[in-house]
Parts: sequence; structure tokens; C-alpha cells
Amino acid sequence: MRRFQIGDRVSVRDATTLFHHRTQSYVRGRTGLVVEHRPEWLIPEDEAWQRDDGRVEPFYVVRFRQVDLWPNYTGLESDTVETEVAEGWLVPAAEETTS
Amino acid sequence: MMPSPSELDALQRRVLGLAPEPAARLDSPYWITNDSYAVLRHVLHDVGGQPDAPVPYLDKEEADWELRTYVLCEVLAWRGVWNSEVRRRAENDLGATLYYGLPYYGRWITVAAKTLVDKGLVTVSELAAKIDEVRARHGAGA
Amino acid sequence: MSDDHDHHAPIEGGDEISEFDVLETAIRELAIEKGLFSAEDHRRFMEWAEGIGPHGGSRLVARAWLDPHFKQRLLADGTETSKEIGIDWLDPTGTGTPSDFTYFYVLENTPAVHNVIVCTLCSCYPRPVLGQAPEWYKTPHYRRRVVRWPREVLAEFGLHLPPGVEVRVHDSNQKSRFMVLPMRPAGTEGWSEDQLAAIVTRDTMIGVAVPRADWNADRAPTEVRS
Repeated sequence: MRRFQIGDRVSVRDATTLFHHRTQSYVRGRTGLVVEHRPEWLIPEDEAWQRDDGRVEPFYVVRFRQVDLWPNYTGLESDTVETEVAEGWLVPAAEETTS
Repeated sequence: MMPSPSELDALQRRVLGLAPEPAARLDSPYWITNDSYAVLRHVLHDVGGQPDAPVPYLDKEEADWELRTYVLCEVLAWRGVWNSEVRRRAENDLGATLYYGLPYYGRWITVAAKTLVDKGLVTVSELAAKIDEVRARHGAGA
Repeated sequence: MSDDHDHHAPIEGGDEISEFDVLETAIRELAIEKGLFSAEDHRRFMEWAEGIGPHGGSRLVARAWLDPHFKQRLLADGTETSKEIGIDWLDPTGTGTPSDFTYFYVLENTPAVHNVIVCTLCSCYPRPVLGQAPEWYKTPHYRRRVVRWPREVLAEFGLHLPPGVEVRVHDSNQKSRFMVLPMRPAGTEGWSEDQLAAIVTRDTMIGVAVPRADWNADRAPTEVRS
């Protein structure tokens, strides 16, 4: 049922956020690599209003290259950030490329 | 060539008059741009990557009320009154002044109070009366 | 230190009780009076909260250094393997703690990769194995900077990583909690598990420091302010 496999390149949708979310602005619109699967969890946008019958989605650990996230990144090319993203926030990298 | 005393005075006044551009004053403006709205509705907790200058990394011993606040908030969640994401959302709902003005567990205890009132589990006058009672018990003034 | 920002000044003044303390007591008493939870629930959680600390994580690291099979299990399933040292992530409620859940992952440092943890959105932290987070970890300041300027932040902690080492920041933004498994330092050959655990400080498991054979005190980056 999972849409993405380990090794897939994925982009985080640059969708509107309101009031509460856990998809950081620094990853929205950026492309990274799926490195691990996580279980299916209630999405925080529903959990934050205690909607226990809310949407449950598979989550993924996505690894981003720091140089893709920040202008003039001061570290090394090899440096990375990993964070967890709900499936609904992800699209295959080809569909939405970063600038 | 040396500036004359009056020229120096003018220069010094200009130096004194230089300051970084002040932050925008927010006082319920008649209208704002979409750009301003985007900034204002940026979800507060999403701070990763915001530029900030180095400061010392301080350790601090945890006060009794801080550990008790942690435990209180967790037990409220254990018993289904709320959950940790409701708490984090309620912290965002505090607005910037309170979010940044309160210590970490000061934020937690403030939103615990607010959430109990919002959910109708406690009335605000009941809570205020209890606060006065506890304060009086400690003899810390009325 | 002389700089005494309002930011760090305690709200308590002399013998006056903190308004946060008053508020906590008021809510706790009302909640128990109204049956939102019982005094026994609170006592049970408090007892657990008073028992947690970085000693749990230190034990995991020391044992992983000594026992390759344990290390393999720890990296494969941190939650399950924690039980081998007496830490059950389902404690104290039977379903874990509401803020830290039950998904625990251990991140292995290698000569090629150095891991450091943060929660940029709040301050998610593996409390069952490390106890309460240090104050600096919870500040917007650390949350803002370490994800974008990790090498600068690590250098401010006194940790200078050589070129060739990838810095991998783990932003624990959802239900997983992370701990760093640092590399065993030189000069510890033949040490016992207890001796090794003593040099595995909290900061080495957050990833802002690395263990050294000659450090066994918790290495607070600057000072302790009560």
C-alpha cells in the first residue's frame, strides 16, 4: 500500500499550512531521498485537534542534502538532514522539481 | 583636512541618528499585504533555519514546578483529556509574545490551563478562585 | 557569568512562590477533584519521571561497545532492545509516555558520519533513555541554528569535526525519538561496562560532544544555573 520505496527520490509538496503542522518550511518544495519507512500514524494536522478518527498515513524518513535546503550552506557538500514526512506531503521527485 | 567643530557636531549627530530599521509596528492595521499575511500566519514553532547569533548554551537545574508540569501534562494526556499534539498546537495558539515570552514549561502549564477552560472541563472563575486559594495557602500575598 | 538577560532570570523573587508553581498546583488539584485523573495516576507517573536520566542511554552505549550482538540488536530495534537494560518504552502507562511515544532509534556514529539530534518544532527528546532535555536543547535558539549551521553549533560546543565527516542532523519532528551511539574513544581498552558508561555523557548522546577517556563528569557546555 505504500506509495514510496526506500531509495526513491521524493519532493515535499509546497502546500498551504494553517495554524499547526509538522512539515517544516525548510523542507517544503525540496527534494530528498527516502531512506527508511516508518509506521502509519495519525497525521499531526488531525491529531492537533484530537480528531482520533482522523487521517492515518504511512510516514517516511527523508534525507535531504544541506546544500539543497539553504542558500550559501557553510558546511560540506556531504552534510545532510533527515526528518520524517507523511505520505500525503510527498510526490515523486519528477513531478515537482526544486528550483 | 580636519572637520570644523560644527561639521564634526553634524557628523556625530548623524552617527547617533543611525539605527537599524525598526521592526514594523503592529496595531491592527487597516490593511496588510499578502506577503505580510504570509509572515503573520507562519506557524510559530517552525523556527528551523531562522538566522540567530550564537549565545551561551546554559544548563539549568529543573525546578520542582517544571517537573510537576511535565507530569501533569502527561497524566492529562494519559487519561485522554488531550494529547501532546493538542498541547503543541495550543502553544502555537498563544501567539508570538507569549510563545517567546514564557519559559519552556511555563508555556506548557499556561496551555494546560487554557485547554481545560476551552474544553469546558473547568470554568475560568473556578480556576481563578483555585489560584487565589493556592496562593493564599502559600502566604504569598493576595 | 555576568550577563543576566531577563530571558534567563528566574521568575521567582526571593521566597515568593512562582506563579507557574501556583498555576500547576491549582490545575492539578482541580483535575483530581473533577476526576480527570487520580492522585494515584499522578503518583505513578511522577515516580517514573523521577527515575529517568541519561544513565539509561549511557548503559546502552557502553554495552553496545562491549557486545557486538547487543549493538546489532540495538541498531535494529532500539525500543525492544532497551528492555535488556530494564527500560520499557511502554512505561509508565502501558502505552508509553504521551509526548515521547514508543518509537526509539539509535543512530550510530562512524568515522564517516556524525549524527546530532534536534527537534526544530518543539523539543522532542528520548526521555525514557536520557531523562529531561537540557534547557538549551529546548530553546528556539538551538532549534533555529543547529539544523542550518550544524558545524558552527558543534564548534561552539567545542566539537570540531574534520573534513570528510558528514554531519547528519536528525530533526525529530514526528513520533520517533533518537539517541546517538558515539564512537568508543581510544584509551578505553579493557574497561568494564561501568567504566565505559561513566564517560558516555548526555551531550555525547545528543551529538554535540564525543566521549573522551579523560572525561567522566557530565560536560555541561558552560555552567549550571539553578
